[in-house]
Amino acid sequence: MKGTLVRDYTVSEQAIIPHPVRRVWDVISATHRYAEWVPTVLEVTDHHGTAELGRTYREHNKSLGPLTTRSVWTVREIEPLARRVDTGIGFAPLQDLTNVFEFEPIIRGDGSESTLMTYAVQYRLGLGPLGPLVHRVVAAGLRADMTRAMDNLADVILAEGVPS
Amino acid sequence: MRRTDVVVVGAGLAGLTTARELTAAGRDVVVLEARDRVGGRTLNHDLGDGKVVEAGGQFAGPTQDHVLALAKQVGVETFPAHTRGASVYVHGDRARRYRGDIPPDPLALPDLGIAMRRIDQLARKIPLDAPWRAPKARAWDSVTFESWLRHTTAGTGALDLVNVLLGSAFGGSAADTSLLYSLWYIAGFGNETTPGTLERGIGVTGGAQESRFAGGSQLISQRIAEELDGRVVLGAPVRAIEQDAGSVTVKSDVDTWHARHVVVAVPPALATRISWRPLLPPQQDALFSRMAFGALMKCEAVYPEPFWRADGLNGQAVFRHPSPICSMFDNSPPDGEPGVLMGFLGGPQWHLWAARPPRERRAAVLRVFAAAVGKPALRPVEYFEQDWVGEEWTRGGPTSVPGTGVLTELGPWRDRPFGRVHWAGAEHSDHWNGYLDGAVRSGETAARAVLGHG
Repeated sequence: MKGTLVRDYTVSEQAIIPHPVRRVWDVISATHRYAEWVPTVLEVTDHHGTAELGRTYREHNKSLGPLTTRSVWTVREIEPLARRVDTGIGFAPLQDLTNVFEFEPIIRGDGSESTLMTYAVQYRLGLGPLGPLVHRVVAAGLRADMTRAMDNLADVILAEGVPS
Repeated sequence: MRRTDVVVVGAGLAGLTTARELTAAGRDVVVLEARDRVGGRTLNHDLGDGKVVEAGGQFAGPTQDHVLALAKQVGVETFPAHTRGASVYVHGDRARRYRGDIPPDPLALPDLGIAMRRIDQLARKIPLDAPWRAPKARAWDSVTFESWLRHTTAGTGALDLVNVLLGSAFGGSAADTSLLYSLWYIAGFGNETTPGTLERGIGVTGGAQESRFAGGSQLISQRIAEELDGRVVLGAPVRAIEQDAGSVTVKSDVDTWHARHVVVAVPPALATRISWRPLLPPQQDALFSRMAFGALMKCEAVYPEPFWRADGLNGQAVFRHPSPICSMFDNSPPDGEPGVLMGFLGGPQWHLWAARPPRERRAAVLRVFAAAVGKPALRPVEYFEQDWVGEEWTRGGPTSVPGTGVLTELGPWRDRPFGRVHWAGAEHSDHWNGYLDGAVRSGETAARAVLGHG
C-alpha cells in the first residue's frame, strides 16, 4: 500500500566551477557557510565547523513564498574531495531528504584546474496522486536554486582571492 | 622633567586644532601622541603613484564650516564625492537603481517618511547644549531609538533603513542608544544658523557626504603637524596625569612634562585609562566609561578603473539588513584612477564578521559590492580593511554611543574642565558630534577655554 502512495524522486544539476576541487571542497565543507552560497539558507543557526561524519548543523530556510522552515542536517558520508552526503529533516511534505555533492577535477585546455560539481537532492513524497504534481513544482524551484547555489559557490571562491 | 604652557594629549584633528589655536595665541604647546603618526581616526591608505584613499573619517559637507575652513587654511582642497549616475538599493536578492538619497523601497517608504518627519520635529525640540533639558528628556532617554521606531512605524522598513545610517554613523544600531541621544545627535547635523536634519546627515549632495579632501583627510592633520614644527611628539602614550592647584604633570612613555594646562583630546573611554591624581570626578569617569565606541571596519576594494561608472552607476549603494555591508561609496581618487569601492561594516554585522577568517570576510564583502555594481567587483587588484576596533589608541569607531539613561544622568559632565584639564575630541562637540567637523569645533572650544583661564 505504502509503495503506491510514497514515491522516491531525485533532482540533479551539474555545473563547472572554475576553481580547483580543493578550494571547492573547503567551502562546501564549512557548515557555517551555507547561508553564503545556498540561496534557500537564510541563516545557519548552529554548526560544527568543518563537516564531520555523524554530526549535525541547523538552518533557517526559505520555504514556499514568504514561508520559512527550520531544518536539521546530519552529515552521512564524506569522501574527501569527491563526495559528501547529508540528510535533512524539516522540509515537509518532503520526506527523507538527502543532499549529495559530488566533485570531479577537470583540467582545462589552458592547464587551469576546474571542478565538475553534481548537486543532487533526493526525497520521498506522499500525497498520493498529488505527489507527482507537487514534485514537478518542487523540482523546478530546486533546479533553479541548485544552479544558483553553484554559481554563488564559484563567486565566493573567486571573491576570496588567491589563498596565501 | 620638561616645561611648557600646555600639553595636548592626542594628535588627532581635535588635539592638533587645539595646539594650532594655542600656538597662534602665543602659548608654548607640546602635543603627545601615542601612535607613530598624526591624524587619529583619519588615516590615508597609500595606493601608489602618489595617490591615497581614506581608511578613516573622510567626508565633509554643508554646515561643517569649521573643518572646511581649517582645510582651506592649511591648503587642503576638497572635491565632490562622485555622484554622477544611479545609486543602487539592494534588498535580499533584488537590486534597484535610484536617484537621490532615499532608497526606492515601496513598502518601507511610507514608514520612513513618517519616521523622518517625526524625528526632525522632535530633534528641533532638543536644546543642543543641554539635551537633558528637553521637554521629555527623561522619558526619551529611557527608551531606545529602536523601541521608539518600532512604536512609531508599522513595519521594520524604517528601522532597517535608519540602521543603514547608524551602521556607519554609530558603528551600531538603533538598539544601542536612547531616543534622546539619537535626536540630539541628529539635531547636531547643522550649525549655529541652520538646524540639523536627518536628511543632511544621510545625504551626499547637500549632505554630510558631499565632499572629500584631495590628498586624503589625514593630510589636514599632517599639514597642522608641519606647522607646529617639532611640537608634536610621536610614540608618546600618556600614562598618568597629576595636578595640584598650580600645575599639571603629564607622564608619557617618552618624557614627563610640567604644564599650566592640559587638553586631553583622546576618545573618552581611553581617557579613563590614564592614571589620574587626583582621580577623575566619579561622574565624569562614569560618563567617559559609558561613552565607549561603536564597532566599525572600513572595507575597500581597488580596481584598475571605476568600471561601474561606464554602466551608469555612481558607486553608491544601500544594503538593507542583514547584509554585512550597510552602505557603499565610490572612494576613487579625484581623477578616477584607480577605482575604489568602500563599504562600512559596522555594529551587529561587525560582531558577526570580525571574528571570521579574513578570506571569508573578503568574499562576503566583495559579493555585496558585486550585488550592487556587478561581478567585476569580485576581482579587485587590491583589497584592504581598516578595523578601528583593533586600533589600540582608538578601540572602536567611528564615535561613542552612550546607552539609555546616560545623557540625562551624566551628560552635563561631558565637557566640564577637571581642574587644569580640558577636554577635546569629536565626542565633545554639540554640532556634528563624532564627525571631522565636531573634532575641529571641540579643539577650537578647548583652546578658547584654556586661553580664558589665562
